[in-house]
Amino acid sequence: MAFGEWMSESKKYIIGILVVGAVLAIIPFATSFDQYTILLLATALIYGIFVVAWNIIGGYAGQLDLGAFAYIALGGIVASQLMIVYGITPWIGMFLGAAASAGLAIIIGIPTFRFGIREVWYALLSAALVVIMNNIFHMPQVLGSLDHYLPSVSGWFYLEFPTYENIYWFVTVALMFVMLINLMISHSKVGYYLRAIREDELVAEALGIDVRKYKLVALATYASILGFMGYVYVVLQGTFSYHTFNAPESIGIAIMGIIGGLGSIAGTLVSGFSLKLIGDYLRGSLGATIPGLNLLIYGLLLVIIGIFEPDGFAGIYRKYFHKEKSASKVSKK
Amino acid sequence: MSLGMSLGNIILRVDGVVKRFGGITAVNKVSFDVEGGRILGLIGPNGAGKTTLFNCITGVYRPEEGKIIFQGKDITGLQPHVVAKKGIARTWQKVRPFKNMSVLDAVVVGALLRTNSVVQAKKRAVEALKLVGFPEEKYEMLGKDITLMEHKMVDLARAISTEPKLLLLDEVAAGLRPHEMESLANILRKVNKEKGLTMIVVEHVMRFVMNLSERIIVMHEGRKIAEGAPKEVANDPDVIEAYLGTKPL
Repeated sequence: MAFGEWMSESKKYIIGILVVGAVLAIIPFATSFDQYTILLLATALIYGIFVVAWNIIGGYAGQLDLGAFAYIALGGIVASQLMIVYGITPWIGMFLGAAASAGLAIIIGIPTFRFGIREVWYALLSAALVVIMNNIFHMPQVLGSLDHYLPSVSGWFYLEFPTYENIYWFVTVALMFVMLINLMISHSKVGYYLRAIREDELVAEALGIDVRKYKLVALATYASILGFMGYVYVVLQGTFSYHTFNAPESIGIAIMGIIGGLGSIAGTLVSGFSLKLIGDYLRGSLGATIPGLNLLIYGLLLVIIGIFEPDGFAGIYRKYFHKEKSASKVSKK
Repeated sequence: MSLGMSLGNIILRVDGVVKRFGGITAVNKVSFDVEGGRILGLIGPNGAGKTTLFNCITGVYRPEEGKIIFQGKDITGLQPHVVAKKGIARTWQKVRPFKNMSVLDAVVVGALLRTNSVVQAKKRAVEALKLVGFPEEKYEMLGKDITLMEHKMVDLARAISTEPKLLLLDEVAAGLRPHEMESLANILRKVNKEKGLTMIVVEHVMRFVMNLSERIIVMHEGRKIAEGAPKEVANDPDVIEAYLGTKPL
């Protein structure tokens, strides 16, 4: 599609992304640079990115992927190790991390989609991927049982800072890019094709859609965004190990995506950001007295959303604030 | 019917197609030709193998024997999306709507087969919806919110928007009321005339096909048992037997 044509179609969404970015950028000033709050916000925001990226495979293409941290951890560890061992700047390492995650996605995706594995079987397979990666990286030849730390350096060259606001702003900019990628997919041929695959694969095939190819495109795009952000995740955690391949958190990403609303950029962002924020806050304040409270809240929300509004936050928004019927409304005039 | 002869106006040739499932032969050495621009009827009782034959033509199944020649090229065993690209579209026995997409978007998906521009595809989708006479005020409704007759129209428009040369309609009248069947037949006639689109109409309701097509093929238990004009076919003893059972002596 011609770029000019695309621009005129999505002008209001682009303005929306800019506004979101601007608002997020000034928040650290409002907290008077309280480091705990900024770390909390940056972590919540990076979860927003993960969930918005998940929207590509889970929301548009309709594949219930439970393997987010296979790609996040792989990309993060690749970039971190490149820096630790070879002194390569994460500005290059993050792209190589993204490439590694995309490569893993393609290796997994080709046979998976070739043999038509979908629905619960795809979900199980992607969940198993995290566990398998966890075990591989647990081997003494790879990472072993130890926690690994990034060297204590600082500066933009290493994307590591004594305080958290710079990394927070970096995450904000990254989020804007990821939303833009989502938007471009949503309004392009790829987006229409992915939604058709989500709705009915057999019909999609009969309409001339190479279902395997488009699923693979969705999976690789999602995986490379996660792989790219992996290094920043490691910086926010301060450490990485085989534990970074975290199966329960991977399922959490999918749950946040569903609660946000499949196919909705704003819904998945709000859901990822707010649920992680609430969850981490509760863990920080009540974690010692009631462990696992954040998981209980996710579960409860999932049940409530499932019963009352299967379209998630996006559906609630449409119902009460916007009298539109369809998420993919087209402006005809 | 020798393969050496020129295909002339023959758009599709099904030649000795066999499809088995385990011990059951669902399609047994079926051969026929489809002339360009015509509407061919394909009838037979339930379980005659009509849908299986459709699935062989569109690449959902790979036939064990025989060939499918489309526009002079062998398309046997190609994948469904490749067959669609070559110009064969289909609709389904049960409507298969895109429930969470708007009517217009569903048809846009079809139109995107021939263009990469969404704006261009929207124009073509609107043309296709107009051709089948879908009410304009409902373009933005979701697939889950429209009636059965409207679903049939959307399925049809979605198939037409891929700009096919041949359209396969699988029991398109199933579940419709008599007057809806009549208006659907009119739509099909209009599409056939205005687009010059060749069609194969599968039905087990004989009446619907009888006044739609000039030539009819009858299948029974996987075999082709009769072929000809509607009148001839209706009076064929084999056909009567297949539909009503053997005449007592």
